[in-house]
Amino acid sequence: MFQAKINAGLLQSSIDAVGVFVDECKVRVDSEGLSVKAVDPANVGMVELDVPADSFDSFEADDELLGLNLTKFDDIIGMAKAGDVVALELDPETGKLKIQIDGLRYTLSLIDPESIHQEPNVPDLDLPGEVVLAGAEINRGIKASGMVSDHMAFGVEDKSFYMSAEGDQDDVRVDLTEDEVISLTAEEDARSLFSLDYLESMSKAIPSDAQVTLYVGSDFPVRMEFELQGGDADVSYLLAPRIENE
Amino acid sequence: MTEWTEKYRPESLSDVRGNNKSVEELEEWAEGWSEHREPALVYGAPGVGKTSAVHALAADRDWRVVEQNASDSRTADAVEKVAGEAARSQGLGGGRTLVVLDEADNLHGNADRGGSSTVTEIAKEAEQPMVLIANEEREMSGAVKRACQKIEFADVTKRSIVPVLRDLLQEEGVEYESEALDEIAEANSGDLRGAVNDLQAVAEGRSKLTVEDVEVTGGRDREEEIWGFLDTLFKGDDMEKALREVMDVDESPDDLVHWIDEGMPKVYSGAELVDGYHWLSRADVYLGRTIATQNYSLWRYANSCMVGGVHSARQESKGGWTRYGFPTTWRKLGQTKKSRGLRDSAARKVGESSLMSMAAARDLAFPYIELLMEDETQARRIADGLDLTAEEVAELTGMDEDEASELVEEDVQEVDEDEWEGFVDDRDEDDQSTLGSFD
Repeated sequence: MFQAKINAGLLQSSIDAVGVFVDECKVRVDSEGLSVKAVDPANVGMVELDVPADSFDSFEADDELLGLNLTKFDDIIGMAKAGDVVALELDPETGKLKIQIDGLRYTLSLIDPESIHQEPNVPDLDLPGEVVLAGAEINRGIKASGMVSDHMAFGVEDKSFYMSAEGDQDDVRVDLTEDEVISLTAEEDARSLFSLDYLESMSKAIPSDAQVTLYVGSDFPVRMEFELQGGDADVSYLLAPRIENE
Repeated sequence: MTEWTEKYRPESLSDVRGNNKSVEELEEWAEGWSEHREPALVYGAPGVGKTSAVHALAADRDWRVVEQNASDSRTADAVEKVAGEAARSQGLGGGRTLVVLDEADNLHGNADRGGSSTVTEIAKEAEQPMVLIANEEREMSGAVKRACQKIEFADVTKRSIVPVLRDLLQEEGVEYESEALDEIAEANSGDLRGAVNDLQAVAEGRSKLTVEDVEVTGGRDREEEIWGFLDTLFKGDDMEKALREVMDVDESPDDLVHWIDEGMPKVYSGAELVDGYHWLSRADVYLGRTIATQNYSLWRYANSCMVGGVHSARQESKGGWTRYGFPTTWRKLGQTKKSRGLRDSAARKVGESSLMSMAAARDLAFPYIELLMEDETQARRIADGLDLTAEEVAELTGMDEDEASELVEEDVQEVDEDEWEGFVDDRDEDDQSTLGSFD
């Protein structure tokens, strides 16, 4: 059983956050709320989304696993205006998802969750650098790096956090000292290189005004955690690093 | 129902049947990868175990697999996004990622001309072990082949297939006559997967497999396959699925068009038929152009028209069971083969004597010749002049063969003389009278 009402804006930004990596995903609902864990086909990027039950206008669910075609779902939710409430209901007989937006009813066929790409088990990572900063700062660094290369580095050294990219011709570097970010802890220097293809799509889902916690290690995945709509949903991204050729 | 090819897919390289030497090479390639860092090109005929071996290898070494196969979208862009990123990345969760590009020969120069150079680029720069799998080595570009270690998988011999089938049946608890297994192995010579699929088709759910069981099934597969496809086309909701399935149907477009032609009126009605046949005729135009230009890439347009077009012509949902028949066109063509042959040989003769092509003679001259030949005297003269055989005369005039052969065999010289004499006599009379009056 699953029956819920949710603010269209929150739902839309949640879909966008997951859509960065996948076109279809498994949505888990239980009494606690709704959650998604999905990894992209190349096994490079992973997203975890958590929308707790009390972020919904109303929420009732037994344990269910829904296979969702995100592209379609996104189109449907795109029909909602700001401030609309979206009603979702799993039809127990047909196994389809009934979506209702201000008089518009849409019945969406679900996908067999078994057929959706399995997410890997990611071990707990001990990442030495932890920096908290505004989404706008990260997005700016990614945007600038995209102008010169297809990959960029995140790193910490000498009590500062940096983003840098080296192109064939031009270089970009953004340094943010301890005082310029919200907080910074670095047990040791660290640096990892990432694909900008991924970062650029992730950056679209990171709200400028969100407070992002970024964990970085040396040739380790980067983790970015932030909240949507001032805490109504939690998003966590994990992105595997490029292998650097000597 | 699980497919046996899945159920019994080898979990370790040591379980892979046949191709021992290739399996060894694959093992060595993987073992030495951190040193040589070259991608591998695994090639060989369909069903010999290439993909199974590669997956077994990954399982043995605890490598994660990122795979792109033909059913995934495979534009150069998509390959770069998945295989490319995976090959450059450490992957989530650490360890090695085995990047597998299945049916790599299907990328080259097909729908997407950028495919081949993208693959070469990714293969050359891969920081993770990468395997390209292909059916045809010679379809791969030279650049890709130079970048890779080549490992060939040979056809699996009948001798190696039989024991596999025997083991499967023991596992499934089915008794068997060994000749039955021989038959299956023989029919699928080289193709282990095909043999296992056939075995499942005849043996699943039985307690004993006999030679007769195997023989009865032979040949039925093809029709069942096409019936399934026709149902998807005429009754399914999903055009994409129909377009996908048509690839698996073992009929070329110029045969398929007849199946659709035969089946459509059994399911469609009214305006649907009008639209449907419009698209089918479109497909036929492309088929004709394919023959005329010998450019077989036009087939895909024929396919789009006859599958996509016909599917889109449907206006209401269809269901139920339909008995699709074997195309009557072929039967008719078979029945009329002889008469068409005669018509053409007669046309060739007419063409030669009147400096026309055979087709022009058939289309332009025949109506007149048929009319002329209604008169027996003329018919005799034409038959003689063109050196037509009795059968050709019969075909042209609709006489029965006896009459025709009588007409042809009559002493032509004599006929001519008679006719000529009569003609001359007539004229003589005329001439005489004329001369007479002149005198």
